[in-house]
Amino acid sequence: MTKNLLKIDYEKYSLSNGLQVILYPDLSIPVVAVNLWYRVGSANETNGKTGFAHLFEHMMFQGSQNVPKEGHFKFIQEAGGSLNGSTSFDRTNYYETVPANYLELALWLESDRMGFMLPGLNQEKLDNQKDVVMNERRQRYENQPYGLAWEKLFSNLFSNDHPYSWPTIGWMDDIAKFELDDVKKFFKKYYSPSNASLVIGGNFESSNAKELVKKYFSEISGTEPVPDIIAPKQSADKPKKIIHEDNVQLPRIYLAWHTVKAFHEDDAVLDLLSDILTSSKNSRLHKSLVFEKQIAQDISSFQYSGKLDGSFIIASTAKPDISLEKIKDEITNGINKLISDGITENELLKAKNNIKSSYIFSLQKIDLITDHINHYNFYLNEPNSFLFDLSRYEQVTREQIVDAAQKFLTKPNVELNIIPKKK
Amino acid sequence: MLDRSIIPIPTKELFFEIPEIKFLKLMNDIDISFVHKENLPIVYAEIIVFSGSRFDPADKKGLGYLTSLLIDEGAGEYDALQLSEEFEKLGSVLSVSADHDTIILSILSLTENFERSLELISKIVLSPRFEEKDFQREKKKVLDRILQLKDEPSFIASSAFERLVFGNSYYGFPEIGFAESMARISNDDVKDFFARTFTASNAKIVSVGNLNEEEIVSLFNKYFNEWISTSDNNQYFENPKRKKTSYYFIHKSDSAQSEIRVGHISKKRNTIDFIPTKIMNTILGGQFSSRINSNLREKRGFTYGANSSFHYYKEAGLFEISTAVNIENTGEAIIEILKELNGIREHISDDEINFAKSYLIKQFPSRFETLNQIAKNLESLLIHSLPTEELINYTNKVKSVTNEEVIASAINNVLHDQLVIVAVGDRKKVLNQLKQIQKAEPVELDLYGNLLT
Repeated sequence: MTKNLLKIDYEKYSLSNGLQVILYPDLSIPVVAVNLWYRVGSANETNGKTGFAHLFEHMMFQGSQNVPKEGHFKFIQEAGGSLNGSTSFDRTNYYETVPANYLELALWLESDRMGFMLPGLNQEKLDNQKDVVMNERRQRYENQPYGLAWEKLFSNLFSNDHPYSWPTIGWMDDIAKFELDDVKKFFKKYYSPSNASLVIGGNFESSNAKELVKKYFSEISGTEPVPDIIAPKQSADKPKKIIHEDNVQLPRIYLAWHTVKAFHEDDAVLDLLSDILTSSKNSRLHKSLVFEKQIAQDISSFQYSGKLDGSFIIASTAKPDISLEKIKDEITNGINKLISDGITENELLKAKNNIKSSYIFSLQKIDLITDHINHYNFYLNEPNSFLFDLSRYEQVTREQIVDAAQKFLTKPNVELNIIPKKK
Repeated sequence: MLDRSIIPIPTKELFFEIPEIKFLKLMNDIDISFVHKENLPIVYAEIIVFSGSRFDPADKKGLGYLTSLLIDEGAGEYDALQLSEEFEKLGSVLSVSADHDTIILSILSLTENFERSLELISKIVLSPRFEEKDFQREKKKVLDRILQLKDEPSFIASSAFERLVFGNSYYGFPEIGFAESMARISNDDVKDFFARTFTASNAKIVSVGNLNEEEIVSLFNKYFNEWISTSDNNQYFENPKRKKTSYYFIHKSDSAQSEIRVGHISKKRNTIDFIPTKIMNTILGGQFSSRINSNLREKRGFTYGANSSFHYYKEAGLFEISTAVNIENTGEAIIEILKELNGIREHISDDEINFAKSYLIKQFPSRFETLNQIAKNLESLLIHSLPTEELINYTNKVKSVTNEEVIASAINNVLHDQLVIVAVGDRKKVLNQLKQIQKAEPVELDLYGNLLT
């Protein structure tokens, strides 16, 4: 059953300017999703100019030669569509889902900003979006309890010259400094058809979609290939501890280890390990710290993996009057116990079932499916990797999970303590 | 070169019909609202119980919320961990949510595991254990969560705002309650609350997915047939009176932004101008290119986002503008919001109305993409006792609204001189900005919305 569901019938080809196009028709739904990935993220930035890929994502909604400021939103919303974009370490994506008869509108809008963004650009728009992004940074990170944890953690886990060491949104000082010329250079370097892939999914005729893609994208010229990022290899030879005071009532501990990049053979193993440690009431660390001993208010973990590197992170909030040292000891005990006693077949089965179900649940939304296709195309150069991806999890053995815990989680880590401000 | 100044226009019209909605009845008289959808081997169902924090006793705020956390901590032959284990084995997602009017248990499951999931939920509804040790643990967790909320400016602003708008009526208090009220709650209170409100006569069911009508009815009859309890579910809502526009301020030291809420109590969901109001709010602050967001974000850069909404509780509506702004711009942001509220009463253009109608009509099909989305549409009908025609005729109703009705809706539903205005931020930076607003005499409140004296 799962096999048939996850077999995606698609067609992939490239225009002569280098734009990769992937078509995934599904006539059973009334909408069409357009999903465009540019192979540029915050990892393409440098120290002193961080946050640029993300700020640029904002600028892409400020209009282009034939689309006025806010026009992109207005056109798509008037058509009843939804749209957005997002930036990560490795890539930036833009997407819109529209009623099936509006495919051409979406392609017109995406192609206008891919090919003709600079004529629509001016200082006023940049200043406005710098303010917006600074407010985004305040709202999502600075004014949130524990909101600065991730950037504290990553800037200590990765060396200063590693592109995962700065946050995607960037440092506040850097955001304030960006100039119009930076925007122009960035656009010319990265926003070209040869650095992008376009997925169209949902209700459309392939021949018609091909015509439209050709009409709107083929005259935009490609650029020199962007060289791969060379990131320095990371390892921690001794543990590191950082303490940060914040507006919080309960202290929280974060533990981070270097692991492996996305789709490395241990990547799926670490996902399952995370599931077994913290995903449910019966998961090991949750059961021990939150349910039985009641020393933690919450606990979570995950394997974060990107194109260049990866990290396994455990975070837990202490109950009042419980020290973070105590929490850390219990986490360590839990990991050691898993390594010495192994895991049960039942634990592994639950973790696999959980992943399989979430996979099938995610097939309900065409925008998620198209984004997934671009994700696979980006990391694996094969859009139809749904079955392969699921099989990565299905094949994992109990021994592999224990080995991964031993191999990664017994090494020196970075420890971050977020503690209440002293009054 | 292609002439790109030509905006593509669709060549064909699309026709959309909502999925067929059926109302079924169980042997014990519980209503099921049902949609059959076959594209994936999954089923979503929810049991809506008209319970929730409106039934909290005055000195035990938070009781409904705590009860919702405890009902799935062990049921029938399973203790808390065993019960969770049974769901984990299936890969089914159980969630329990509580608000002022309802407690909703929902399940998303592979079709092959749906029956077993439903059997487990029936145990939760019919024989929850409410063991003392689980009670102690979950209550402590809620108390610690309440403690944590002291540092969440957005929660502080919203709960103070609702307190000021709804006064001492039951929508005026946060579902989670307060430290003092939570401390007073005993496990017997929870059991009593459950017995009083979790009755068959208070429940309705929504089911969407890959099982047909007969299968769904027979499964629910099989597992829920013993649920026959009744109770009188009346809980009088005292409609609070609006006062003239008032400013309130809550000090939060070292905040990086100010949280702002502006609004007032509004009409219930069954109001005849529901759709004109929806069109009007789409223009005012209901989507990205609305007046409020365009002004505060795209024109002035004060914020990452600002919006307005009409939220519908069962017995009352809430009109609310919500944003978080750079602290230096707090006063200006409020002034701009007030300008927009006056502005929408003074003028709405035909273009704006046409845009809003097009947006609402054309995005309607996308509200039926996932099982969960379909279920939320049905849920809303059940909670507000509305006929299916609300959905079936939605598009036509939006189309037929006249511009005069939209303009009248602004005048009748945006009451610029009866607002509650709340700002949460650092006193040193915010208070003076508020005092400079014309006619503003900001009153300072504590973190829970009580007057500081």
